[in-house]
Amino acid sequence: MTVLASVSLATFLVTGLAATQFRSQPLASSNRLARDEALRQSVNQLSDQNRALKARVQALQAQVKAGEDESARRSSAVQQVKALLDEQRAIAGLLALHGPGLTILLHDGVDPNDPADRSLGWTVHYQDLQDIISLLWANGAEAVAVNGQRIVPTTSFHYAGVNILINNANRLTGPYTVTALGDPSTLANGLGDPDQLAELKSRSRIYGLGLSWLRSTRLSVPAYDATFLVKNAQPLG
Amino acid sequence: MPNHSADRIARFQRLIVVSLIGLALGFLVVLQLRSQAAVARTLASQDNTSVALLINDLNRANNQLIQQAAALSQQETQLRQALTAGGADAQAISKELQTLREVNGTTPVHGPGLQIRILGSLMDFELQDLLNSLRAAGGEAFSLNGRRMISSTSIVSRGNTLLIGGQAVSAPLVLSVIGDPEQLEPAADLSASSLQTRVQVDIQRKSDLTISEVINARPLIYAQLGR
Repeated sequence: MTVLASVSLATFLVTGLAATQFRSQPLASSNRLARDEALRQSVNQLSDQNRALKARVQALQAQVKAGEDESARRSSAVQQVKALLDEQRAIAGLLALHGPGLTILLHDGVDPNDPADRSLGWTVHYQDLQDIISLLWANGAEAVAVNGQRIVPTTSFHYAGVNILINNANRLTGPYTVTALGDPSTLANGLGDPDQLAELKSRSRIYGLGLSWLRSTRLSVPAYDATFLVKNAQPLG
Repeated sequence: MPNHSADRIARFQRLIVVSLIGLALGFLVVLQLRSQAAVARTLASQDNTSVALLINDLNRANNQLIQQAAALSQQETQLRQALTAGGADAQAISKELQTLREVNGTTPVHGPGLQIRILGSLMDFELQDLLNSLRAAGGEAFSLNGRRMISSTSIVSRGNTLLIGGQAVSAPLVLSVIGDPEQLEPAADLSASSLQTRVQVDIQRKSDLTISEVINARPLIYAQLGR
């Protein structure tokens, strides 16, 4: 694996260098169009498959729940375990929740078209979303969703090219809506603290990048649209 | 002999896949540095590298969803068989409870993984990105300097101080992650390559790591069940 890692790293560096040094020869336009079309078709097919698989997972979750409910009716021992299970499900984000909270709206600003400014500071990056979410957790948020995607214990954010992906390759596109359940005042005060999100707030002033929030007495966050698999971690003892 | 040959083919295939990912990432970094087109987020207007990386992620996610469906299907069969036999299967439900406790960080765990020592302090976004990479590579349980972490653990820099769940942690940072080392190590190596310009990073594979710290789940006060 060390060899693989070295090869990966070396390829990464060499390719990066090559890409900065050379311009690729343009393909014949017909080939290029065919390749572009094939790539986009693959994305559409895989996205359809992704939706179908999530629907299958959700249908199976409903069947499992029905089996558990029936089992709990038959056995008091099962009933006790199931009460604990429901508690952990709520914590894990497998159940929809509602309550008071805060809605945060975020959108790209205006491209300054300035050759001296190539920072892309006018766009919303996944790190901005993650900074906001981290601050919400720090201020007592009990549940968070972004554009209808529940943030669960295993959620990670990353770029696939220009795409922001979370939770099983869900593509997030702007404008972004972050919904947090919790005490609206505490959450709003956390975001309003001038020491927090200082860089994002400064970009909001410079580039007109949209950052605002609204308190609500009733908001809802959906359940996570898949489930969890643990293959390597084992209970201790 | 056939096994040996199959092994060689498998190794070669892994090498090709890793090289291709390295190739794509190399272009990606340059692309992100150079391209103003990096904000074109509709599929039709995206560059092919972005589309290729999206295909890679969709494939990986779909494979995971297939595995999730298989596990749920097995669980459902087990529950149904017990019900048909006139009883109730407490074991299937207990197993699910254990899985969720592991995911939520509310129970101690052990297993194979990596121990990453960082001889210096990190900014919040650097630690977030390291965790993002390791989670995407299948990291299942995390602890940093004896503090269990899940995605709802806040990571905030205040000046040069790194606060994890509101508590300051100081260098050296020791991050333990449980998961398949084969998958975790390339992700850790890539993250380390960018961190190593500033701090020394030491990555060690462990056949059995213990994470005994747990998260005390906060009770829901404002949130209620249902949409």
